[in-house]
Amino acid sequence: MLKAAILLVPAALLAQSAPVINAQSAPVINAQSAPLAPEGVAYFEKNIRPLLAANCYACHSAKLPKPMGGLLLDTRAGMLRGGKSGVAAVVAGKPEESLLLNAITGKSADLRMPPGKTLQPYEIEAVTAWIRMGAPDPRTAAAPAAAPASSYDWEKARQHWAFRPVQDPKPPVVAAPEWNRTAVDAFVKAKLEEKGLAPQPRAGKLALIRRVTYDLTGLPPTPEEIAAFQKDLSPKAFEQVVDRLLASQQYGERWGRHWLDVVRYADTAGDNADFPVPAMSRYRNWVIAAFNRDEPYDRFLREQLAGDILAAKDDLAAKNKEEWQQKIIATSYLANSRRFGSRANEFHLTIDDTIDNLGKGILGVTVGCARCHDHKFDPIPSADYYALYGIFKSTNYPHAGTEIYPHTYGFAALNPAQAAELKRVETQLSGLDNRIEDIKANKIKFANEDEKKKAEAENQDNLRRYTARYPNLAKAYAVSEGKGANARVLLRGDPATLGPEVPRGFLTVLGGQKVPAEEQGSGRMELAEWVTDAKNPLTARVFVNRVWQWHFGQGIVATPDDFGARGEAPTHPELLDYLASRFVESGWSIKKLQRMILLSRAYQGASGDDPKNEVKDAKNAYLWKFNRRRLDAEEIRDALLTVSTNLDPAPAGEPPFTPETTWRYTQHQPFIAVEKDFATNKRSVYLMQQRIRRQPFLELFDGADPNGVTGVRPLTTTALQALYTMNDPFFHEQADALAVRVGMAFGGDAERLDYAFRLLYGRAPTLDESREARQFLSAARASLGATAVPEYRKNREALASLMRVLLSSSEFLTLD
Amino acid sequence: MVRSLLLGSGLFPAVLNDLMAAESSPLAPKAPHFPGTAKRVIFIYLSGGASHVDSFDPKPMLAQYDREGKTANNRKMLGSPWASKPHGQSGIEVTDLFPHMAECVDDLCVIRGMRGDHNDHFQATLGIHTGSVTFKRPSVGSWVTYGLGTENQNLPCFVVLAPEMPYAGSQIWSSDFLPGMYSGTRITSGPEPVPDLNRRAASPELQKLELSLLERFNRKHAQQHAGDPMLDARIKSYETAFGMQMTMPKVLDLAKETDATLKLYGLERGATTGFGWQCLVARRMVEQGVRFVELIDVGSSHNWDAHSDIHTHAPLAKNIDLPIAGLLTDLKSRGMLKDTLVVFTTEFGRTPNPEGTVGRGHYNRAFSSWLAGGGVKAGIAYGKTDEFGAKIVENECHVHDFHATILHTLGFDHTKLTFRHAGRDYRLTDVAGNVVQAILA
Repeated sequence: MLKAAILLVPAALLAQSAPVINAQSAPVINAQSAPLAPEGVAYFEKNIRPLLAANCYACHSAKLPKPMGGLLLDTRAGMLRGGKSGVAAVVAGKPEESLLLNAITGKSADLRMPPGKTLQPYEIEAVTAWIRMGAPDPRTAAAPAAAPASSYDWEKARQHWAFRPVQDPKPPVVAAPEWNRTAVDAFVKAKLEEKGLAPQPRAGKLALIRRVTYDLTGLPPTPEEIAAFQKDLSPKAFEQVVDRLLASQQYGERWGRHWLDVVRYADTAGDNADFPVPAMSRYRNWVIAAFNRDEPYDRFLREQLAGDILAAKDDLAAKNKEEWQQKIIATSYLANSRRFGSRANEFHLTIDDTIDNLGKGILGVTVGCARCHDHKFDPIPSADYYALYGIFKSTNYPHAGTEIYPHTYGFAALNPAQAAELKRVETQLSGLDNRIEDIKANKIKFANEDEKKKAEAENQDNLRRYTARYPNLAKAYAVSEGKGANARVLLRGDPATLGPEVPRGFLTVLGGQKVPAEEQGSGRMELAEWVTDAKNPLTARVFVNRVWQWHFGQGIVATPDDFGARGEAPTHPELLDYLASRFVESGWSIKKLQRMILLSRAYQGASGDDPKNEVKDAKNAYLWKFNRRRLDAEEIRDALLTVSTNLDPAPAGEPPFTPETTWRYTQHQPFIAVEKDFATNKRSVYLMQQRIRRQPFLELFDGADPNGVTGVRPLTTTALQALYTMNDPFFHEQADALAVRVGMAFGGDAERLDYAFRLLYGRAPTLDESREARQFLSAARASLGATAVPEYRKNREALASLMRVLLSSSEFLTLD
Repeated sequence: MVRSLLLGSGLFPAVLNDLMAAESSPLAPKAPHFPGTAKRVIFIYLSGGASHVDSFDPKPMLAQYDREGKTANNRKMLGSPWASKPHGQSGIEVTDLFPHMAECVDDLCVIRGMRGDHNDHFQATLGIHTGSVTFKRPSVGSWVTYGLGTENQNLPCFVVLAPEMPYAGSQIWSSDFLPGMYSGTRITSGPEPVPDLNRRAASPELQKLELSLLERFNRKHAQQHAGDPMLDARIKSYETAFGMQMTMPKVLDLAKETDATLKLYGLERGATTGFGWQCLVARRMVEQGVRFVELIDVGSSHNWDAHSDIHTHAPLAKNIDLPIAGLLTDLKSRGMLKDTLVVFTTEFGRTPNPEGTVGRGHYNRAFSSWLAGGGVKAGIAYGKTDEFGAKIVENECHVHDFHATILHTLGFDHTKLTFRHAGRDYRLTDVAGNVVQAILA
């Protein structure tokens, strides 16, 4: 399915040249204002013109039909005007603001000129000196009209299906009564008829209860649950199962995990040393609880984007402390953005990660592409990116520790009374970190080397003393408001090359709302409102599509993170809009949306094959059958723990990291989890997941990528997975526990087999299977004769051996 | 019947390779864009940033300035503790840090104008492996195996031999958004070279019984769900896993290597660790059809990061010098060097001026790497730095160019080896990279 998504996207390459920003906003110096001094002209003729001619004109000349980047270096006017970026190549008198110099010194990694060559130091010095003297330039030729800055045809851009307002289409009427009961089915069946596809019959009850139980809880149904459902012949039987599962604690653990895929959840920060963030687990538990209480999706998003601002209202801290805490914890969504480097000096990348996730995860557009240039395929100018950037730049992100500054800073106290103390302690420790770094970097002057060493030692002593007294305060990895300020565009995404300032605001194509001028804060509250505005055409569509995909294995839009021009078009556009409309109408209730989907005939179809349909729709884009799938990583592990009875069903708190005060991780000695320290028999959603190093089991079975939005998990089948079930100690342990369970329950092989089949497959073995399995047991016992397995363990070992076979089987590990 | 052969006899039929390779699998051998000069890659990466001016780009001027206390650009210079001289027919200068590799210099294409985008380990290590110094991307080994598949389905397509974890950890051999099967598989020299490789069932017979019953159950299940390739792939994955369980120990068993060969790598008979072991295993892996082997000598600490003392390069060099020279010699004598590309690189170079008194800092503005075999020119030095090794003055080779050239030798237009992800066609070289035509034979 993923493969299909990737390979079959129409390559609608809109031929379009690079960057933008209105050329009018570029700083322009009047070219003819001052008469040129003869020395200046002589300097230019001797040192600069030959250098430009030799190194630059080949690509940046008015004589070329298409000068690179629209930049002309063979006229004075062209140089001062700059290229398509709209920023002057030369700012007279200001070498540090002149892009030309940035480019030839290689100060900016992405803008290094001339290509494949480095100018000699004396040449760079000459250019610097020339700019400093006012860039005297006798070339008078007028620059031809500016190359047209690329801009979007907004009228046309808004016609793209995803940017059009959500409609509320009326369900069609189809002939088959079975498909006319729900609106969802009417839409699906109409499409099937249109495409000439015959749907599969209803799935059998066993397949159905396995499907829906894993789907809603990530766990296998018990034999009792299966039997009860099979016996219940009332028309409400399935509905009752759905309602029971939606109301379970396990529902949140399964569906919360889906959301954690989207927000690239991790328990560490992602900097070079990958500092642990134990408080992140509060967010994980908040997500699980939010799903369980069916928190309206719009509110769910508002709290993640601006929970701290909501919490500050109406004296909530005093009135309802728990709710106040939860709102603060929700903003860990933003804090969870990845950190880079050893000293937090690449924060623009962290903000980029925030915007990338907001874009792909919530809005379904690849806003992150506009960091360096206007989006090439979607109507997202770079200015829109920096309109969002300003909002997050005006937000204080907490610091989880890095190699250079190993202490936390900016966390939120969860007890309002302790806020001041937390801040005091954090300030003390991080202040000492800063001071030590300043001493090391010679930013503080000392009389001599001994004085310097003494000062450093004193500060280190203080650090140790304060650290030892560090109070253990409950805190959240949450953001807080900074002072609102607009950001300047970073040309080519490079903080070293600043473009024009852009007002804080929202994507133009979604309305282009601006943060009000009087807003003192970041503008996140406004952003949260724009994102969840029912008129925003993306938020509801993107989420109902995700929910659909999590149920069916494929979305109505097959590219859930990209609703833009490069994404796939919806297979059922009316259905998508119908679902989005009902979703918003219901008060953004996720569970109601799911009920609507699950009770459809489409969800309850069999996964069988049909050669005629295969020819017409091999990908099953139109849902003529249910998609068979392998269990995902969490389901495999949780199912093993369930049938072995080793599962600890209680939720987990913080992962068992060593105390925060002991952390001195560096890029050389990064935090690397020793697996046994984090071993647990709790559900897989609670496994500690590092950002830099993936949890080996989850990685093996295609778990989510903690570095980016995982919209679709590509489920692979590999030999290393097979080795896992053949030889892994954890797998063997569960098989052994299952053998004990089965062996203790019944005395005879036949009964044991029957029980094992019911536990794992929900059915009794066939006669053939029973015979084969019993033959296997005797052969296994015989083969153990020559091994070191003691006599009294041989029966157990043989049974465990059979359990490994059953647990490795396709029937156990796949769903129909 | 292949399966019953496999499971029944316990012997591993050689014919199975061909049979399985012939079936269509994402790992089956694939033709590149045009016929390449290299068929496989051994990628040697020195962790921590190995100094160029102390190895393949010697600068006698540094020693002179150092002796005379002279400065350039207001900075002192640090002479190299290692003398240098021209070697071989080509007369390429190499220092005494690598005496054995120096003897092979006529087989090397030394690149002296390497340039990277970042001056920190983590980012630069990511950069030399994935082309990106910020966000993680698929590793060069993943791109190569995604493009070419692999020759032996019973071994991983992309093997990493690394005794310790490097900067950025397993991200540097991760397939990232490419399918997981193109991820590097790390092989260590312990009792279990790959996680879960060793049979855990109490006896080989018991394991065979299990696999045999599993196959029968799975086959019956697949018949009831006819036509689902995922179910067939599951059945096949157990055959491959068993193949790997049987094949890997054979590849790692050096008993049949001659004394002369072991000596080439500086290996004692029976040794199962050390860089010589890694190099010899690499040869055996590529011989058996593994497409891409990466060798990493040390991890993220106690490595080439010689901030306080450049002399710490000495033991690290001693560890790898003879084995790498032995690997080149061995490949050559077996006729494999001509279509095996050997890459020797690091994340950045080191400063010409001293840090402290005898250390050197990070330096991404100029460093050295070399290529050998696989259709690159032998016995040449490409690119040039100034007299201090501080600035590239001729033929810069950016990391993107380096990657573009590696892919070119394998038969790929680097701009066309792409994968659609998140609305964009990604490639190893991002939006940059020029093939260094001048070094292609």
